[in-house]
Amino acid sequence: MHSFNKNVLSWLEESASKYAGRTAYEDENESISFAELEEEAKRIASAIIKAELPDMPIAVMMGRSVHTIAAFLGVVYSGRAYAPIEAKDPLSRRDKILANLKNPPLITEDESGSLNFAELLKSPIDEDALEKVRRQMTENDPLYIIYTSGSSGNPKGVISSHRSLMAYIKAYSEVMDINETDVLASQSQLDYIAAIRDIYLPLLTGAKTFLLPKEYFMQPDVLFDSMNRHGVTAAGWSSSAVTVLTKLGAFKEGSLKGFKKLCFSGSVMPGKVLALWQENLPDCKFVNQYGPTEATASCTYYEIGHRVSEDEILPVGRAYDNYRVFLLTEDDKKVPDGEMGEICVAGPCVALGYYNDKERTEKAFVQNPLNSAYRDIIYKTGDIGRFREDGLLEFHGRSDRQIKHMGHRVELDEIEAAAMEIEGVSECAALYDTERENIWLLYTGNAGARDISVKLRNMIPLFMLPRKLKQIEELAKLPNGKTDIKRLEKDTFGGK
Amino acid sequence: MRDRIIEILSGVRADVDFEKETELVSGNILESFDIVDIVAELDDEFDIEIGPKELKAENFDSVEAIEALVERLMGDE
Repeated sequence: MHSFNKNVLSWLEESASKYAGRTAYEDENESISFAELEEEAKRIASAIIKAELPDMPIAVMMGRSVHTIAAFLGVVYSGRAYAPIEAKDPLSRRDKILANLKNPPLITEDESGSLNFAELLKSPIDEDALEKVRRQMTENDPLYIIYTSGSSGNPKGVISSHRSLMAYIKAYSEVMDINETDVLASQSQLDYIAAIRDIYLPLLTGAKTFLLPKEYFMQPDVLFDSMNRHGVTAAGWSSSAVTVLTKLGAFKEGSLKGFKKLCFSGSVMPGKVLALWQENLPDCKFVNQYGPTEATASCTYYEIGHRVSEDEILPVGRAYDNYRVFLLTEDDKKVPDGEMGEICVAGPCVALGYYNDKERTEKAFVQNPLNSAYRDIIYKTGDIGRFREDGLLEFHGRSDRQIKHMGHRVELDEIEAAAMEIEGVSECAALYDTERENIWLLYTGNAGARDISVKLRNMIPLFMLPRKLKQIEELAKLPNGKTDIKRLEKDTFGGK
Repeated sequence: MRDRIIEILSGVRADVDFEKETELVSGNILESFDIVDIVAELDDEFDIEIGPKELKAENFDSVEAIEALVERLMGDE
């Protein structure tokens, strides 16, 4: 086949020819080599092409296994974008996602989807058909559609191109110094944005990714043992996973051997937690990363070059290579040096938009207001930031009601929209206690707390579920009739 | 003791039927955040210290397992 150096498939093929028999991914049960990965992906693609399916994305709903990644890449070889779906998500959320995708073909391991994984794998490889598809592809083609919380109650499907993904993975691998000797430990669910590092770093660098079982993150000694056994050297985890492990007594008895690089992201890392990790891993490199799904997982990074103090607040740092990060005022003007503004991103990392959602795309992905001379699309994050004198960016929260919980982005409005659909809930307010990392739901009406909790579980993903529910007489209101969130926070958990 | 444990568990996760479930951790029913809260409350309530060594799926998969763990730790003192 031709050498086409324009997408992630060329990364896969280069690694497959260089490291053929070496393991690309492993989980607790199985492993897959680079050569096997290429073969599985090509078989799947050949079956998809032969089936003459409509030209649309293909959803993949499989478990946490090495073959799920082969299915993703198979979809890519067929010239389509994949949309990963978490099987454990509630049905109503899954239905909303599938409806947004216009009921696409769905790959599953059982009979529930329109395409069965094992059946697809039986297909012979049709190199001619694959090459024909490949010739039509450009680096701007969509690679994946990943869903995030939307305030209306409908998840938003962020579409990223090969180009965006490749810009990020290249920049990240340089900052974290990832090479073919590394073993990465994956924490993220495969349908979530953070997983793109664990999926694509091996293809670029020849490193191996080990998919950690989710439940290990509540058993620090079990987790560390497993990481030591698999020779893990590097990881990109949510700050919240690192924090939980620390609260559960990581390093009290267990230890990590040979672990050298940790990138954390998703929310603000408490200085106290990082200090403990630095103390136990004195030679490890620690990097704080910040950025949204819409800018391909990231914008900025900060390599921590000193021992942090317990109450230290880390900056989010400087832009990755090939990313441009700047601030705009509320009325779209340049922000004077040293002042706060909305964090905006430009460059190849900017996503193609929200799938089948023109309205929300046009609101967030806009023409750079500082440039009227040519087409220059930027993404407005809704995050507030400030550049320090040394050029490092600081993060100062949100301009709306979006929070980060357990490494996931959550719109409190989405929780309220779901709760309002439950019989016996008249009014409600979702609150976030940042300090204790708890989502609260205050409500009026005669529904029982348990009943609401059970019903919500079938409507929104587990990470969005309010962990504290409280029935109250009435919701405090502002003079304009809106819910007085500040007052409720103060009354409920002493928020400022 | 069992009732008190169920009360604590239900306070953390109102949506789970703790009388019935036997794979709370290995079945991914509890989140890691739940375990943080449950451990803190059990430590307080029964004046014990649940360390990382005890944080294994088999000690938290059911109310019976949690009860056995608490009894064992209370007996250690």
